[in-house]
Amino acid sequence: MSMRVGILGGGRWGQALARLAVAAGNEPFIAYRDKKDKPPHILPSTNDAPQVAAECELLIVATSAAQVRNAIQLARPGPRNRVVVAGRGVEPQTGTWLADVVLEESDVLRVGALAGPAPADEILNGGLCAGVVASQFAEVCELTVRALHSDRYRCYRSDDLTGVQVSGAIMPVLATLLGLARSLGGSGVGIHAMVLARGLAEGQRLALGMGGDPATLSGLAGVGDLVAAMSQTSHPYFEAGKRLAKGKRDKGPEKLARSLAALAGANGVEVPLTRALVGIYDGLDPLDAVSALMQRKDRPERW
Amino acid sequence: MSTPPSGLYQRRPRQAVVRELLQRARRRVEALDDRALESVLEDALYSERKRLERAPAQPGERERVDRLARALVRGDRAARIDAGLDIVRYWADEIHGHFDPRVYKFATGLLPRAITGLLSRRTANVKKWRLSPDQRMRIGGDLDLLRELAHESTLVLVPTHVSNLDSPIIGLALYLAGLPPFVYGAGLNLFSNPVMGYFMGRLGAYTVDRTKSARLYKDVLKDYSVRAIATQHHSLFFPGGTRSRSHRLETKLKKGLMGTAITAWQENLVSGKRNGEVYFVPLTLTFQLVLEANTLIADHLEEVGKQRYIISDDESADARRIAAFARRVLDLDASAVAHFGTPIDVFGNPVASTARERKEQALHRRGYVTDANGKVEFDEQRDRVYTERLAASIERAYPGLAHVMANHLVAYVAWRCLEDNAGSTDEFRLVRASAVHRRIPRAAFMERLRKALAKVHADIQAGLYHGSLPEDPAAVLKEALERFTRYHTHRAVASQGTDIFIEDAKLCLYYRNRLAHLELEAS
Repeated sequence: MSMRVGILGGGRWGQALARLAVAAGNEPFIAYRDKKDKPPHILPSTNDAPQVAAECELLIVATSAAQVRNAIQLARPGPRNRVVVAGRGVEPQTGTWLADVVLEESDVLRVGALAGPAPADEILNGGLCAGVVASQFAEVCELTVRALHSDRYRCYRSDDLTGVQVSGAIMPVLATLLGLARSLGGSGVGIHAMVLARGLAEGQRLALGMGGDPATLSGLAGVGDLVAAMSQTSHPYFEAGKRLAKGKRDKGPEKLARSLAALAGANGVEVPLTRALVGIYDGLDPLDAVSALMQRKDRPERW
Repeated sequence: MSTPPSGLYQRRPRQAVVRELLQRARRRVEALDDRALESVLEDALYSERKRLERAPAQPGERERVDRLARALVRGDRAARIDAGLDIVRYWADEIHGHFDPRVYKFATGLLPRAITGLLSRRTANVKKWRLSPDQRMRIGGDLDLLRELAHESTLVLVPTHVSNLDSPIIGLALYLAGLPPFVYGAGLNLFSNPVMGYFMGRLGAYTVDRTKSARLYKDVLKDYSVRAIATQHHSLFFPGGTRSRSHRLETKLKKGLMGTAITAWQENLVSGKRNGEVYFVPLTLTFQLVLEANTLIADHLEEVGKQRYIISDDESADARRIAAFARRVLDLDASAVAHFGTPIDVFGNPVASTARERKEQALHRRGYVTDANGKVEFDEQRDRVYTERLAASIERAYPGLAHVMANHLVAYVAWRCLEDNAGSTDEFRLVRASAVHRRIPRAAFMERLRKALAKVHADIQAGLYHGSLPEDPAAVLKEALERFTRYHTHRAVASQGTDIFIEDAKLCLYYRNRLAHLELEAS
């Protein structure tokens, strides 16, 4: 039976999710904010976000991480709604996990997160991809799978909300570092592989420290997303890393790196790569940051 | 005293209760596939056989277990279910115990006088003694709201658990607070003490045999709790599961019985019951001195994490010991403080203070378990997550309800001094510390006590927790030292010449632990 899938955010990501809902045999209903955000007429939409919350059990938040709070405040979902955030990890302004932003701003209890290598443009062009939805509530995962899973998009389930959120938060940081590494003079595949492997280890430590499952970092939300970032030359965070090598700063990855470093510090987790990125944003020369990382004391590979 | 909901005193024949529990059990086992059914029944068989190796069997017990064994080997599905339910019938009867609503009503009226007698040396004047919340027992919290909620809903009291005296003391607190009595599950071992057993059996205690570990038994217990709440019996659970061995405030709560409240609430929604809301009330109980302190801390230290879950031979099993404790300790002013927390709903949200707002909240709350048409959807997995959230809310509430007492604060400061003297924070090492390390110069001690006391007063002022301590550190020390002489053979902390001396490090640790979650001074 077809279901109505509420999508908060009419941008390209919101449109891509709406297309996936259609492919899964469902009816999307998009809440857009203004004319700039308005999707094409072919997709049912409204600027009355509370109407979407009232008519759809499942709401997928498809805004940028910075806009999740605002989207929830506008839509005012209630106890009956299940809300899945399809954004990356933490709110940049506060360092709060996005699922927690939903809990803070509404009476919703049943929350989840959707992550994975699903570039909006590829989906809109009919490409195949996959993702993972995580929630403590099995019914949230089941509803999301029902909403999105089709022969175009494989939607996997997980009960490790923390792991998926950590993956979603650390992947942009690692993508920025990879872009930076590619642009540094004299760098080769070695440094790429090192950042990737040790970055994943960093994510695994963080997930474990916050009560998540380190294995989640090996899945679609972790390795999957990172491979997508590396393989896509126009990936925004990869590009941000390349620009950073030339001394140009982007606020997005900087805020994310600072939030993650703070979270790691609060949980007593060592995140040298994230801290190196924060150091660069604080004015440290990237080559000096690399040098400091290379001079760290030797240690066992696992943790 | 307020009138409890009418359901509380409805006479319900014993057989009807047992039959209802059997029906619930039958529905559950019949829903299992053959493999799952076999697993549940094999678990019941194994656990019962192991238990009967350790304890004498009641009449007919072995026969029922043997019948289950035969059914598992040779019987068909129906025979297996029947053999399993035969055991369930026996358990249901045992759990329900001798609970009789008429006796319950009578006994709960008798309780305050009986406890007063226990607490007071002035037994001859019990009838004349005016019970004052400001004397032996202090009670805190929004009692008006609780009384109101007790009329219009079912309350589930979730106290911290320190001593086997908790349940009668809570009974007294409920009486003093003008609240109706609550039913609660009490360990079978507690009935071995004739004094305790007499009161508990008649004060709404149903029987929980913690030596029975079968899943099927735990399910019957949960069914009993669901039934009690759904029939609007105010209930009491100790969510810590057992007495806190270390005396720390509980942080890891057991969720099994908490989940039954969510189920009962949903059953009330389905049946459209009036006054069907269920609210949790956290309660922190603080004693100046604890009857079983020596046994509990010894058990805690024996091997952390592998304590005996059931202790049947401690101070609370000795009626004379209880009487001595009552004479020496409970007769003191403010010997116990019960602080009721803000009531919360089954999702851990605070309950509004006005009836109108509560009605709105109740309508809103339904959305967490109903579909688009307003039909209740039962979902065990979802409810487990809700229960986690509820447990987290209760855990967060406890520290804010705690009372700082003079002897706990003195033990806290003395323990900090001991840590510094011995250069260690390892409690296993510190309880064996030499007398040299346990001796603290009075001036240094008083300086640290002064700072800690100032912090406590500031925290109380900020509403972080409660307490009614003197401003003067010397008065706090005097009160604490006097308390420590009251009951225990060795004093936790004592005055020796110009020094403060930790006479019994284990007891000092025990009383210090009540404040272990606080940071009252830099180490």
